[in-house]
Amino acid sequence: MQITPSMAARKRMRRENLIGYAYMMPAILFFLSFVIFPMGMALVTSFTDYSMDSFNFIGLSNYRRMLQDRVFGKAMGNTILIVLVSVPAVTLFSLWVASLVYKMNKHASSFFRVVFYMPIVTGTVAVTVVWKWMFSRYNGLLNYVLNSIGLINGNISWLGDEAYAIWCIILILFTTSIGQPIVLYISALANVDQSLVEASEVDGANNFQLFWKIKWPQIMNTTLYILVITTINSFQIFALIQLLTSGGPNNATNTIMYNIYYHAFKLNEYGYGNAMGIILAIVIGVFSMIQFKLARSDKE
Amino acid sequence: MQASVNRTSPYRLLAILLLIALSVLFLFPMYWIITGSVKSIQAVNAATPVWFPLEPTMDNYARLFDRPALMWLWNTILICTMSMLLTCTTASLAGYALAKKNFIGRGIIFAIFISAMALPKQVILIPLLKEMSFLRLHDTPWAVILPTVGWPFGVFLMKQFSENIPGSILEAARIDGAGEVITFTQVVLPIIKPGIGALAIFTFITTWNDYFMQLIMLNSQSKLTISLGIAKLQTEMSNDFGLIMAGAALSAIPITVVFLMFQKFFTRGITMGAVKG
Amino acid sequence: MTSAIEAGTTPDIIMEGPERLVANWGAKGKMIDLSDLWTEEAKADIDANSTAVGKASMGSDGKYYEYPLAMTTHTMAINYEVFEKADALQYLDLENRTWTTENFQKAMQALKDDGVAVTGIVYCGGQGGDQGTRALAMNLFSASFTNPEHTLYTMDSEAGIKGLQLLADMVKDGLLEADAGIAAGDELQLFANGTAQMTWAWNASNAANYAASVTFTPYAMAFPSDDGVPELAGGIWGFGIFDNKDEAKVAAAKKFIKFVSDDSVQGPASVYATGFFPVRASFGDIYAGTEKDANKEFLIFMPYLGDYYNVTPNWAVQRTEWWNLLQRIFAGEDVQTAVATYANNVNIK
Repeated sequence: MQITPSMAARKRMRRENLIGYAYMMPAILFFLSFVIFPMGMALVTSFTDYSMDSFNFIGLSNYRRMLQDRVFGKAMGNTILIVLVSVPAVTLFSLWVASLVYKMNKHASSFFRVVFYMPIVTGTVAVTVVWKWMFSRYNGLLNYVLNSIGLINGNISWLGDEAYAIWCIILILFTTSIGQPIVLYISALANVDQSLVEASEVDGANNFQLFWKIKWPQIMNTTLYILVITTINSFQIFALIQLLTSGGPNNATNTIMYNIYYHAFKLNEYGYGNAMGIILAIVIGVFSMIQFKLARSDKE
Repeated sequence: MQASVNRTSPYRLLAILLLIALSVLFLFPMYWIITGSVKSIQAVNAATPVWFPLEPTMDNYARLFDRPALMWLWNTILICTMSMLLTCTTASLAGYALAKKNFIGRGIIFAIFISAMALPKQVILIPLLKEMSFLRLHDTPWAVILPTVGWPFGVFLMKQFSENIPGSILEAARIDGAGEVITFTQVVLPIIKPGIGALAIFTFITTWNDYFMQLIMLNSQSKLTISLGIAKLQTEMSNDFGLIMAGAALSAIPITVVFLMFQKFFTRGITMGAVKG
Repeated sequence: MTSAIEAGTTPDIIMEGPERLVANWGAKGKMIDLSDLWTEEAKADIDANSTAVGKASMGSDGKYYEYPLAMTTHTMAINYEVFEKADALQYLDLENRTWTTENFQKAMQALKDDGVAVTGIVYCGGQGGDQGTRALAMNLFSASFTNPEHTLYTMDSEAGIKGLQLLADMVKDGLLEADAGIAAGDELQLFANGTAQMTWAWNASNAANYAASVTFTPYAMAFPSDDGVPELAGGIWGFGIFDNKDEAKVAAAKKFIKFVSDDSVQGPASVYATGFFPVRASFGDIYAGTEKDANKEFLIFMPYLGDYYNVTPNWAVQRTEWWNLLQRIFAGEDVQTAVATYANNVNIK
């Protein structure tokens, strides 16, 4: 370590800086223009009554309005319900599938990976419209099958009944969410240190102990990643709602994202829409942080 | 190996049977899309489902192609491919620099990129729309492509991959007198190629499924993506499932074929993207 | 469209209804004043057909933001053969295409007695077609949807509540069905394939669109009303010009609109292309002797065109709240309470 860098060293450092930024330039340019700038705009306009014909600073009014907006409250409740149900369900189910599949031979394992990844490849919209048809009250498959096997008697309006609608949405969300976690868990489980597994088998550990003591800590990073991406995706649920229920019946399937869309693009209340977006961002941030904290403490 | 063979317990057998049953359920929507797309109006609307269309008809497709459906498909492929190429380029450059170059502010820049990743993308859609219209890009493919490229996930991913580049190799290249361009293209790129592949696949699929962004940014009938096109087949005054299934099939089949062909790369890509992450 | 306006990439000329051109964009100063297109001759010709059209095209500032081309009325339709078989046609005034509320109930009972599973479905799953459900609920006891000044929504009136209550009761008694899971598009499809025997979302263009796929006679009817005098919701389509700050373009656009709407040859041809009916009385029956001859079935409904209340402020909010209102009522909430909530949510205080 030199106390005063020589001219040559300083020159080299400047060169390094220059080269570093040259490499960064394209990414920074895109990032600043299409992420940071609009983010700043979203924050600023959330304090305005920005709409088609006005743009005035109104302080915290949008945020105060949110507190009194019953539909917003309901949408927030629904969104959190969706997250709280779908995130554990997706994580546990994909772990279960992966634990069965990872030991299979190459063909079987790739078959199952493909099958469960299929809904993502098919595309959210295509999957959603086919589900809409299957849920249809009068000529949908679901009613027909359930009636035939005697589980229900008479046709149910699955998407039109407050009791069922949100669960139908969660089910579809589930089928379009598990593909990636399964693939991730399969590879994580396959990468578990075999010597540790064998050692504990010699020690007479049963499957259950083997899993929780040896494998679970080693796939913790994968679990954390799955939790975070599933949480973010569930919070942002939109296409399903827009295509299936428009938030109904009686706001039973209204979500924050749909509510933002409704206010910003149906009622042209951009300021209010942005304010809701900011709150959503904060909520997602909090959820992600909790997950990180839990995962960390679990590891230790 | 022996151990795992011995472990074929009754539970495992049962579980595998259940898994197979679930697979059928997961494949069913695809089956229902394809068969539905060749069903007659009567068969589509039958209260007793027509499990297999014995008299397939191309009617639905004929009606679908009354609309610019192939244009929609082309728009989608254009948007996804451009997003993919640009993301891979900018991210691999930046990722390499963040991992291997020493420059002032590196830590800060990386931290900002990382924290932006946690934010929901949709929050910035309204200002983005304004920005795109200011740039006169609204209702063009660029309105979807540019924000996709700006998203920091790619930079993060490529940084993780670039960490694997051995410093000794870079040093050797420098001693050989290789300039930055040569070093990057001949030394760095081959090493991070798998990462770029992963990012490419990941970007393509997320862009394909980014319905909200497309919905906000694209308007004209001829500019729609295939997802938007299908969504708009459901109009206020008709809900023609046969036609919609034809649209869904047109959207799903090409990408599924590509997926099945490159399945290995897909799964490897998804895995690498995350395990590194 | 909203995002295009927000983006500033609007076209110069747009064809839309007064609820957007006048009440929304016009009121927000996004449109050009078209008063000079409304010559004495044009006004007289249009008024001769329906005075509601001129009223709807004018903003609250007295400026015309729309120059109308075509109009239609939204009706309902029944499956003629099924009604005939159930001996329910006796309850219809076939000549005027009207029926009374009482006869409507009797007809539904007749269908039920004949073993019809689904008579009609009050769809309330959102999206479009809300005019059908509004007209149904309003007409039963001749309620007004808004006050005459178009400043207040008034379905919380006694007549409004009675109409909604009757619907709720009929659903409870199985004479009708209600479904928050389907939208107008779904309901039309169910009507067209014979599942439902009525649709509330009928008009000339739907009649044309579904003509090929139905195996029965879809018979257009006015909505049942206690006094037998229906008041139908209408659609008015006309041109507006976005203010893109280019006078030359505006002048050209006006010239174009004038030609497309008023020219003695192009005018009727333009209307013909829309599949609706001319706002100008002088154009007459443009469908006579053409392949869209079936459209003349709807001419009889034009005099039933009611007040164009879609221009009332807060319209977009109202549409959503209307669906929520229906959803709450058919989920079993007390009608009076549900309507009070609705009125509270839609009326600007």
